[in-house]
Amino acid sequence: MQANTRPCSGKACHQSVPKALSANQCSSQHTLQSEQFSRACRRPSVLRKAKQGRRQSVLQASGAVLEDKGVDLRREFSAFDRVSVLSEALPYLQRFRGKTIVIKYGGAAMKDPTLKEGVVKDLVLLSCVGINCVLVHGGGPEINIWLNKLGIEAQFKNGLRVTDGPTMDVVEMVLGGRVNKSLVTLIQQAGGMAVGLCGKDSGIIRARQMVEKEIGFVGDITSVDASLLKTLAEDGYTPVVASVAADHTGQALNVNADIAAGEIAAALQAEQLILMTDVPGVLRDKNDISTKFVELDIRETRELVDEGVIAGGMIPKVECCIRCLAQGVNATHIIDGRLPHSLLMELLTDEGVGTMITG
Amino acid sequence: AHYDFLEKIECDLNPFPHCEFFRVEGIVRPWRIRFVVDQLSDNGILGMTVTQVAGAGVQGGKGERYGGTEHGMASLIEKSKLEVVCLRSQVNIVVRIIATAAHTGEIGDGKIFVVPIAEVVRIRTGETGAVAERMEGGMMDMKQEPG
Repeated sequence: MQANTRPCSGKACHQSVPKALSANQCSSQHTLQSEQFSRACRRPSVLRKAKQGRRQSVLQASGAVLEDKGVDLRREFSAFDRVSVLSEALPYLQRFRGKTIVIKYGGAAMKDPTLKEGVVKDLVLLSCVGINCVLVHGGGPEINIWLNKLGIEAQFKNGLRVTDGPTMDVVEMVLGGRVNKSLVTLIQQAGGMAVGLCGKDSGIIRARQMVEKEIGFVGDITSVDASLLKTLAEDGYTPVVASVAADHTGQALNVNADIAAGEIAAALQAEQLILMTDVPGVLRDKNDISTKFVELDIRETRELVDEGVIAGGMIPKVECCIRCLAQGVNATHIIDGRLPHSLLMELLTDEGVGTMITG
Repeated sequence: AHYDFLEKIECDLNPFPHCEFFRVEGIVRPWRIRFVVDQLSDNGILGMTVTQVAGAGVQGGKGERYGGTEHGMASLIEKSKLEVVCLRSQVNIVVRIIATAAHTGEIGDGKIFVVPIAEVVRIRTGETGAVAERMEGGMMDMKQEPG
């Protein structure tokens, strides 16, 4: 399935590519490929030079609907096709080897068990090839379920949960206990080595109560101590961090998982921050997926916010990305967590499945 | 809109009416320096010096975020200082390039200072003044080329 989105390699070209792609498309993709790889191997240099490749190739990829064909395609591929595709991932694997990637896990990818399993598999694959992954998660829906069971009503103000004492208790229990440990279990089952933590452990995230007090125990992150995460990641463990923090008095605070992921990425000097969301990325026209921005830089993003193209719930997400980029993270991705293997597609192909925002 | 503003920066050089050369000192985020250098060299600024420095800049109690942590008054944060000595006529262009390339919009983007310079000497040849300042293939040459 991934093979379809990937440009083919020289001789194997006509065998490995399904009939749907004409020979014509094949050769054009092929020339693109080598350019992209040479670009891919260095860090994106000057503000907007590296962009063309990603943009062009996504146009070709966007047409393909893969979900239904996945199984059939796999049957069509010979063993040789599969290894040749695998060998094409080499430059990407080399680029990210030993680097840290922070992934914010949430939304649909968290609810659907098959997606969940896919994400976990991707994660284990990434850590197997020498990429240090740090998973940061929220868990809104799960919290709502438990609040419901306890007869506490969930309230929101500007997208933030109004968190009083009892609610905070539930939030901490659900995020740090249930959601966190279920992710750890899944990763362990998939053959990874996960360590479940919340922001309170070893003072990973310290926060202060937000200025708007009516919202209760919701925190602004004041500092991040990533030394524990660094130690774990270097030893090959996958830290799984729940977005619960403590203030200087020890009061538990609920912090936004996107922001927590961004700040952790900054503290780790991570190569990439990936936000898994329920949208295809940043779109010019909300209802038209073909208007997706494949790559933006800070400047373009800010301009789009000023123009009102980026609006609503996307604003805090891009703000979070910019804040993280300003602290030296190389690139941030807003990806569609609803697609299977969206993580691998974003990291190991030039097309990507979302919007990449660079510095 | 922010960037239009950066691209129209005008430096007031009137306090030094006879000064031929100026040094533009940009103190920017370390990881941003490569963008700045790339942009400058694309525009024909071929001579520059970069040093690693540390500094603080706290406005109204609002500090910068660095490494995921808020920094207040007392903490010094790593920065890179880039120095470019250029002709009076090039000061505005250089300042604009540095400002635009270093901008992220977050607190801690840095500052630029413009300092008068009395003389420039190229050690290898002993040339002084405008001859020593001029770089072959640099901004002056790029401008003279037709098109």
